[in-house]
Amino acid sequence: MRLIVPRAFWRPPNHTPSFTATARRHYAFQAAGAPAFQVFNRRTKWLQKERAASNVELSRQADYLRVEVASRVSERLLDIKRHFPRVLDLGANACNIAHALTKENPEPDPSLAISPPLSTKISELVCADSSAALLNRDADLPFNRDPNMTVTRHVLEDEESLPFAPASFDMVLSSMSLHWINDLPGVLGQINNVLKPDCPFIGAMLGGDTLFELRTSMQLAEQERRGGISPHVSPLADTRDVGGLLQRVGFKMLTVDVEDIVVNYPDAYTLMQDLQAMGESNAVLGREMGPIGRDVLLATDAIYRELHGNEDGSLPATFRIIHMIGWRESEDQAKPLARGSGNVSLKDFLEKKE
Amino acid sequence: MPPKPRPIQRFAAAVSKCSPSAVEYGKCVVADYNSVHKDKCVKEFLKLKDCYLAASKGSK
Repeated sequence: MRLIVPRAFWRPPNHTPSFTATARRHYAFQAAGAPAFQVFNRRTKWLQKERAASNVELSRQADYLRVEVASRVSERLLDIKRHFPRVLDLGANACNIAHALTKENPEPDPSLAISPPLSTKISELVCADSSAALLNRDADLPFNRDPNMTVTRHVLEDEESLPFAPASFDMVLSSMSLHWINDLPGVLGQINNVLKPDCPFIGAMLGGDTLFELRTSMQLAEQERRGGISPHVSPLADTRDVGGLLQRVGFKMLTVDVEDIVVNYPDAYTLMQDLQAMGESNAVLGREMGPIGRDVLLATDAIYRELHGNEDGSLPATFRIIHMIGWRESEDQAKPLARGSGNVSLKDFLEKKE
Repeated sequence: MPPKPRPIQRFAAAVSKCSPSAVEYGKCVVADYNSVHKDKCVKEFLKLKDCYLAASKGSK
């Protein structure tokens, strides 16, 4: 395209009285790939996890939520009748999934026969996490020496760029770590990439209304004490966002479901201490630096108790777990038929039954 | 000897002795939580804080 300069703007040099026009061009363009929106400070998160794991005893005590979610994730393997030679656990924390897989009799229904541990279905499990201290915390425990499954630990430079070869895993698991990822579509796309065709991704992350009690009471306390609010609880993905994201990066046969785990605490400070011991403290970019003031802490507990407290004086904290399953696309996978190709009317079929 | 309690634990222990004034403050804020502004319940809060300060002195 030619640049057209209106006559009035252009003057011959000898007539320019007071200004010189310099030719300046502005380009509006977008770099390759969509820009990733930064929400969390990944380095802060890493430091928090390292610090939390350095106190082994406290860290194990506060692991109840991860242990529970990991066992619920691994229970989903009961539905897949297949053997997985090489499996990735992305964001493994303290290899909680590996621990859950070696549990005896994973079948939760007592009426069914006793089943062997799920680790018999897996030959090699690669546990990957950015925090070396947390990853190696339980490296001496007996579950690492399982006869069926070898556990290898891999410390990631950056959880948002996976160093694995494309199509190198038969399954990817992830439990309680995807909610700290800035570029969730990018990471899900990479997960899809490292999977072999027709292989599943089974994940669980915190989302939706997680910790809404803490979020609301801290907002009210800060508003009343200081006249303004700053973020204390992360923004989290919603259930419908997760479905959309999985579809966008090309997963097939999606399953997304939600579970609420409500934990009761004696006071708001115990909840905050446990979150810290899990390495799940606030790491939102643009949060207020430094500790929360005593006035706000004092107000938070009073408001939490009044607004959400149980009758027995304990304080409930909701953790909403979003479970997701997606399969890498493959030629021989069951696919929906083309639109308009059905030749049985569902209406006729259902009416005939009656 | 038991380990030294963390500051937050001492804080929580002192606050737990002030539940009547905490309830009063909580009720004041929650009564109309759609229009909370700075120092809406300053009177109740100062009462709670005085109670906390007294309780934290006693524990040391």
